[in-house]
Amino acid sequence: MSIQEHYRSRAKELLSSGTVKMVIGYGTGSTPDRRRPVFITSPDETDRLVLDKACRTNLSGYLLREGLLSDQKQVAVFFNLDGVRSLNILAAESQLETAQVLVLGFRIEGEEVTALQGERAADFKSLIAAAKEQRKSQPPHELQEKLEAMTPKERFSFWEAEFSRCIKCYACRQACPMCWCRRCVVDNNQPQWVNTSSHTLGNLEWNLLRAFHLAGRCVECGNCSRACPADIPLHLLNRRMSDEVQGSFDHYPGMDEAQEPVLASFRKDDPETFIL
Amino acid sequence: MSEVFEPKIVAFVCTYCTYAGADLAGTSRLKYPSNVRIVRLPCTGRISPMFILKALQKGADGVLVSGCHPGDCHFDHGNYHARRRWTVFNSLLQFAGVPEERVKFSWISAAEGIKFAELIREITEDIRKIGPFEEYHKLIAETGSAAPL
Ligand code: SF4
Ligand code: SF4
Repeated sequence: MSIQEHYRSRAKELLSSGTVKMVIGYGTGSTPDRRRPVFITSPDETDRLVLDKACRTNLSGYLLREGLLSDQKQVAVFFNLDGVRSLNILAAESQLETAQVLVLGFRIEGEEVTALQGERAADFKSLIAAAKEQRKSQPPHELQEKLEAMTPKERFSFWEAEFSRCIKCYACRQACPMCWCRRCVVDNNQPQWVNTSSHTLGNLEWNLLRAFHLAGRCVECGNCSRACPADIPLHLLNRRMSDEVQGSFDHYPGMDEAQEPVLASFRKDDPETFIL
Repeated sequence: MSEVFEPKIVAFVCTYCTYAGADLAGTSRLKYPSNVRIVRLPCTGRISPMFILKALQKGADGVLVSGCHPGDCHFDHGNYHARRRWTVFNSLLQFAGVPEERVKFSWISAAEGIKFAELIREITEDIRKIGPFEEYHKLIAETGSAAPL
């Protein structure tokens, strides 16, 4: 049985037995290589579910839809390991209870999609621990290395050119499961911290702010980069922040639901190399 | 250019240590450049990175953020939280291409009036050397708002 068939019948089972009230997964999209989220509530509809290598979107953000989890019923969601990590972070940040979420886990490796063992966030602990180790030894990103080797002036102009294309659509924010604030600081106008017009200065401020607020929380799922209509390499900023929290504080976001947020905790012997 | 460039520097300091240190520098009649504009806050834990961006947005050529030494925070651990934030934000600024001379962080206690005066002198000199933050000022000019600082 293909993994798609396997999960279709699992979804049918979960819905007909009443274990879950909804299955959040992937369906066909507007082009053959795109998938769009589907929200299945009836066992007769599980044939709409698709699972293949094009299923890259992290679906955890949909769990925060107002009222969805307030009846204490369970929802099943298709997740790769990044998705499970984001689920853990949302739980650690008191946005949901993992007991209400059933994980239909999968992994995409090249052309191949395989099932992950486990149905509760906690079942993936050892896989996440292995991913943390892997992240440490991950080869450096080519463009990131190139940027680090530049002078500050060159780096500034690189980002100036990138951010000048931003249209402040905030799709990156809407697509990110970690951007769950009801009111984002950029929408604040008393005081107005960030220029809201889409000129390069405002765009730069917005993008720095976004990267900072996601530092130590981003699971590098790529939702933001894929959503950006201007193709700004947001993943570079996210990656740089992940490198920093892992390097300085040994923090890999989303280990489990009890993990303390890295910027809301500290150690007295945290490194400091630049403070005069 | 015949005139010396006078950089605009904004210092965000906590009231219990660095502000008191600045005060001590003053009452001890120590000289330091008048380029620095001090903004006093209750604690380094209250100094959001947004403040740094705001200062730059208003045309600052340099920013200093300073508070109590680790272990000396009036609120016990505000500066430990701040330190983590600085670590992350500092690396973000550098990755974005803001030269490290422009945004500085320090611990200055209420007893360190001399350190305060010296640091302000040093930072002012360093920024004088690299000149106005023209890359940023150009972006400010594009917005059509005059830098009010
Ligand atoms: S910042 Fe981007 S990559 Fe990181 S969690 Fe949010 S959407 Fe995913
Ligand atoms: S998605 Fe891209 S264009 Fe839209 S606000 Fe984010 S960075 Fe700017």
